[in-house]
Amino acid sequence: MICLLVLAPPLCAQDRVNRFDTPEGVQQGNALFQVHCTYCHGARGEGGRGADLTTGRYRRGGSDANLFDTIRNGIPGTEMPVVRATDDEVWKMVAFVKNLGAGEPREKASGDAVAGKAVFQGKGRCTGCHSIGSEGGTLGPDLSDVGRRRNLDYLAESLLRPDADVPVRYRAVAVTTKSGQTITGIRLNEDDISIQLRDEKDNFRSFFKNKLSGMRYDKPSLMPPYGTVLNKKEIDDVVSYLSSLRGVQ
Amino acid sequence: MRIAAIAILAVMPLAGQGLPVTYERLVKADQEPGNWLTYSNSYNSWRFSRLDQINTQTVKNLQVKWLFQARHQEKFETTPLVVDGIMYLTRPENDVFALDAETGRVLWTYSHKNPERTYNCCGRVNRGLAILGNRLFMNTLDMHVIAIDAKSGRELWKTEIFDYTASGGYAATGAPLAVKDKVIVGMAGGEHSISGFLDAYDAATGRHLWRFHTIPQPGEPNFGTWAGDSWKTGGVATWNNGSYDPETNTVYWGTSNPWPDYNGDSRAGDNLYSCSILALDADTGKLKWHYQLTPHDTHDWDATQIPILLDAQFRGRPRKLMAWAARNGFYYLLDRNTGEFLRAKNFVRQTWAKGFDDKGRPQVIPGNDPTPEGIDTVFPGVDGGANWMSHSYSPLTRLLYVFAREERRVFTKNEIRHAAEGNNAAPTGLAAIGIVSDGTGAGRGGRGAGSPPNNGVFGAGGNLPPGAAGAGRGRVRFAPEESWGKVVAIDPLSGDTQWEHKVLSPPWGGVMATAGNLVFGGTVEGVVFALDARTGERLWHFSANDRVYAAPISFLANGKQYVSLAVGDVLVTFGL
Repeated sequence: MICLLVLAPPLCAQDRVNRFDTPEGVQQGNALFQVHCTYCHGARGEGGRGADLTTGRYRRGGSDANLFDTIRNGIPGTEMPVVRATDDEVWKMVAFVKNLGAGEPREKASGDAVAGKAVFQGKGRCTGCHSIGSEGGTLGPDLSDVGRRRNLDYLAESLLRPDADVPVRYRAVAVTTKSGQTITGIRLNEDDISIQLRDEKDNFRSFFKNKLSGMRYDKPSLMPPYGTVLNKKEIDDVVSYLSSLRGVQ
Repeated sequence: MRIAAIAILAVMPLAGQGLPVTYERLVKADQEPGNWLTYSNSYNSWRFSRLDQINTQTVKNLQVKWLFQARHQEKFETTPLVVDGIMYLTRPENDVFALDAETGRVLWTYSHKNPERTYNCCGRVNRGLAILGNRLFMNTLDMHVIAIDAKSGRELWKTEIFDYTASGGYAATGAPLAVKDKVIVGMAGGEHSISGFLDAYDAATGRHLWRFHTIPQPGEPNFGTWAGDSWKTGGVATWNNGSYDPETNTVYWGTSNPWPDYNGDSRAGDNLYSCSILALDADTGKLKWHYQLTPHDTHDWDATQIPILLDAQFRGRPRKLMAWAARNGFYYLLDRNTGEFLRAKNFVRQTWAKGFDDKGRPQVIPGNDPTPEGIDTVFPGVDGGANWMSHSYSPLTRLLYVFAREERRVFTKNEIRHAAEGNNAAPTGLAAIGIVSDGTGAGRGGRGAGSPPNNGVFGAGGNLPPGAAGAGRGRVRFAPEESWGKVVAIDPLSGDTQWEHKVLSPPWGGVMATAGNLVFGGTVEGVVFALDARTGERLWHFSANDRVYAAPISFLANGKQYVSLAVGDVLVTFGL
């Protein structure tokens, strides 16, 4: 109580209320996140070298205080370092990270999610490449909780302009062998000696570069743009459906 | 007879000449090709091995002989030393191991425990040791220099270099350089509001002998190159290793960026001796000359590369020269006795200088400064055309080998914030952080495992996405095609590139040339390679599949040549 009387909340070690859990705080936390965290956790917290922060589940605990401690102190014995920032800045990052993993949508989709599911599974043939739960393909990202991770604008853009932002793990590549065969797929790994990909038939393929006559990266995504496949209502419905996908509850 | 021979072998010591490693041996290190006695193998920092068992003909038979499993998660940047069959190396953070160089088996260990919180910008790393007499020397993250008995691993003395918590925070990550009876020690912290220096300590006792302030103090020459009070916190660290010319008793050492890194508003002027080459008297630390590569730097283009010293005919007369491939993208040739600028030529794409005047001052092209919204048209990128990774010079090919970075990045200018302005004890400020694609998702070995996660970088801007200060969907992850690495072979006298060997990603490892006409190195994806030093053709490779943040060495153990390189958290040793 003495603490509360003397110090503003974020400065008090005993009081772990995050007064920056506001839209402004989240926005400022985003800017700080881009500086401190994206190298490992990705620009939108999707993970990579570091953990996926969009799931709403955190191994070190998901309370504001837990997240504050993790960011402030790092995780000893791992590559998660101490983040050198002020307490206020850490609290803002906490607000942003929690928002990444928010369980409920903050936006209201205009489409019909039920109709969107039908398009997704039928006319759109999306399940050939994307999985939801245990069903679907693996050429594209798992969408089981994409509504938790992506906002409506992002989802719509992904349908209309798939090349706009392709997760690095799903970047398309076309390799041509010296015998003239061209194989297109998702790049899984690459160094100066070889390249590994998942081809369009979902097979793992590995090629020594000295056996190839060419490699092309000029089309980042294998996904077709859906603006010519689906009408506007169908796009809105699929976006609504995707936004409803919140992962395993 | 057979039994007798075995018995004799059994009692032979592991080492040959062994300890002590006298100063005279260090001066004549090239006469001990089986050993690796300094960070760069010799005072001239050629990082050249005179061994040739492994050569362009035999390298196809090179294979892994042993591994040293370091078992840690930090970047493994060490350069081991080898003295007659015994290898000494550091493991992050500040552990020292002595190994049998033929088998990799540990003989003794030493461990220095750092505080939980240290002020290193770029990982809790260490790059190696120096040896003199029977003593090994190591710098620590909490700003100590430690002498360790090379026979036992016992600590002999430990001297605090500086308060590691002062101002923005100090650290020491580089290898020391042992010269005569002294240990020359650099420090890190140029991303913080610190004030840099280079120190010398008595190798026998640890007593502090001299300090050269890399920012002139009031009343000293060039003090006026800093506006206002900016000199007090102007950065200018000395975080890598240096070179030494015994004939002139001169230590050559490079300095880092001025602080704030990406915002020069508060520090108008050239900001000497930032981004500079220093020539210092080894006995006194007095400055003989300086040459500033990047006046008033705002791109974090440290001049902390390791000087390559060579003697050659130049413009009709013999000269003592210095070859320097810099982070700002230019290769420089200087007269190392006088500091005279002789030549500069870019070895990677550069956009910031249209040339040099007669004194070697760059003629800067406007429009390349970092901006609040971020500018991505400046080359070289934040991590430079070269960085701290060792270069190598072969007296056989007379070529300088540089593992260079071609990279598109974003330079962002942010507000300046000093350590005291935070709302807690930690130094604060929006950070510069190296961000590149992690590409393959291959974890630590993945593509572009380039810059480390930010562990406290207190610049004012850096490689931030446009819009990072507010909303927006700016990107810093440029496509893989927009950045790559290359081993460049430069004629040091003309600055002309003789050949290039391109690799997938900008590197973080150094290179080593050998008398076998090979150039060894490793990529961030973990491809360890040997190139033909004459052509750049890759003759051999090994897929070690983890990041390389170190440079190779070569040595003899029991009469056989080996090559060692840290890959991931493993020191991999190859032999025929």
